[in-house]
Amino acid sequence: MHIRDGILGPEVCLMAGVISLGAVSYSLRRIRFDLEDRAVPLTGMLAALIFAGQMVNFPLLGLPVSGHLLGGVLAAVTLGPWAGCLAISMVLIVQAVLFSDGGLMSLGANILNMGVVGAWGGYGVYSTIRRTLGSSHAATVAAAVIAAWLSVLAAATLFCVEFLLSSHSSGFDPRGILTLMVLYHALIGVGEALITGGVLAYVLGRRPDLIPELGKAGPVGRVGGFAVSGVVLALAVASILAPFKSELPDGLDAVSEQVGLSALEVERPPLVLEDYAIPLLASWPQLSVSVAGILGTLIVFAGAAVLAGMTRRTASSIVTTDGSHGG
Amino acid sequence: MVVDSRSSKQSLFQRMPGSIKLLMALAMILAAGLIPLENWPAHGLLIGIIYIGLSIAGVTTGYLLRRLALFLPLLLVFGLSAPAVRSDGAAWSWTISLWLRCTVSFLAGLWLIHVLPFRELLITLRRWRCPAVLIAMLGFMYRYTFILWDELHRLQNARAARDFGSGPWWRTWSTNSQMIGLLLLRAMERAERTHRAMLARGWDGSIRFLEFDE
Repeated sequence: MHIRDGILGPEVCLMAGVISLGAVSYSLRRIRFDLEDRAVPLTGMLAALIFAGQMVNFPLLGLPVSGHLLGGVLAAVTLGPWAGCLAISMVLIVQAVLFSDGGLMSLGANILNMGVVGAWGGYGVYSTIRRTLGSSHAATVAAAVIAAWLSVLAAATLFCVEFLLSSHSSGFDPRGILTLMVLYHALIGVGEALITGGVLAYVLGRRPDLIPELGKAGPVGRVGGFAVSGVVLALAVASILAPFKSELPDGLDAVSEQVGLSALEVERPPLVLEDYAIPLLASWPQLSVSVAGILGTLIVFAGAAVLAGMTRRTASSIVTTDGSHGG
Repeated sequence: MVVDSRSSKQSLFQRMPGSIKLLMALAMILAAGLIPLENWPAHGLLIGIIYIGLSIAGVTTGYLLRRLALFLPLLLVFGLSAPAVRSDGAAWSWTISLWLRCTVSFLAGLWLIHVLPFRELLITLRRWRCPAVLIAMLGFMYRYTFILWDELHRLQNARAARDFGSGPWWRTWSTNSQMIGLLLLRAMERAERTHRAMLARGWDGSIRFLEFDE
């Protein structure tokens, strides 16, 4: 997930750095009101926790590689979007400066993709869904699961935008890159969503007071609501259109061919989001993106339902035994 | 500490101010990003300079090769995806220039982590007028990270003693998530205890620094 130096152009790194600098300083200002004098120890601990949590490896179905938690939504759900954004940013700073994991110059882009979009955007989606579903444990877990999946997809899309804006990567077909990234991250996002849901279900079963109730809807919540309705609308449109397109004879085989060879229409300006949403009927790569989107959404919703069910069970079984457990 | 033992070795760079070291690494990365592919000898020159820097900092070639062996396969795969996505003649030269840029930047980053201890990074950030709250949080995070790593090792040992590392993959996923959850509970309880201890010692939310400078 971490962008290395050399992949994005210096001018894009600078731009992303300025944006994330603004976001981090705004978070710093807001955290003083939210957490008061607890801000320093709690946020420091949260960052250390996300860092340690990333050391836990999750096996991937017999593959030699393994996945791990990213943590943007988990951090935002635990201490709010401001502390969450700061915690992820600090994890990224330490990883870049002490472990050479992720670039120094592209630190701003990493913070923007994972910290700002992951924590602010993720929290916006989470709070919107939770407001709709109510504040039961099951609703909290379901909201976090969906938000985690969307945050990974949003980070991938944002990376595509940054990549295509870089001066030395002109000449790439926006749709080809977007298709690859979204297909790949739809799967990574499922992993992130399941881990986030699993952790949250466990915490809610033991110490529900650690996960704060929502305040009244702020600007972040409204943006999140807008994003959620946009995504849901896009998925609805895609799922209505998909059956019509799949009646074509060459079927899904054509998708893989075109993903590989789709350097045909380079004259389009690299406005990825427009390409993504509007000309859905124009060609196959878009369709495969939406199919991936629908499949991923279904898996994530199923995961949300299962985890929510598990929460209800653990919550009722643990209430009697819960008490003091040392730390 | 494991991390700092690498960067606190005696070397020529130890007395150099942290901001100079940080700026030098950034300048290398920026230069690698701006030099066009036609001037590839310049990339080679940069790699040579950084290699000399790394050997002065006491990095052994074996360690360097091990780090590169972890880093290069990912980079190769990423670079090879370019000719797959575009079919014009520029794809291969793009891939090669990507490999050069990324390798130079990686080596420069590696040099930095060997010459800049974390404490010095905090001093540098303070000199650059970074907000005091952020520096304090970073300091706390650094301290807590090692505590939580130990905690995580204990949890993993306890689990390994119980399930002998076997079980289907979905059970591993659920126990791993629960392990992170338990770590979160213990971490937050520890943070609350720390906060109370800080209050008992007169913490009022404002941060004062002793002069770090030597």
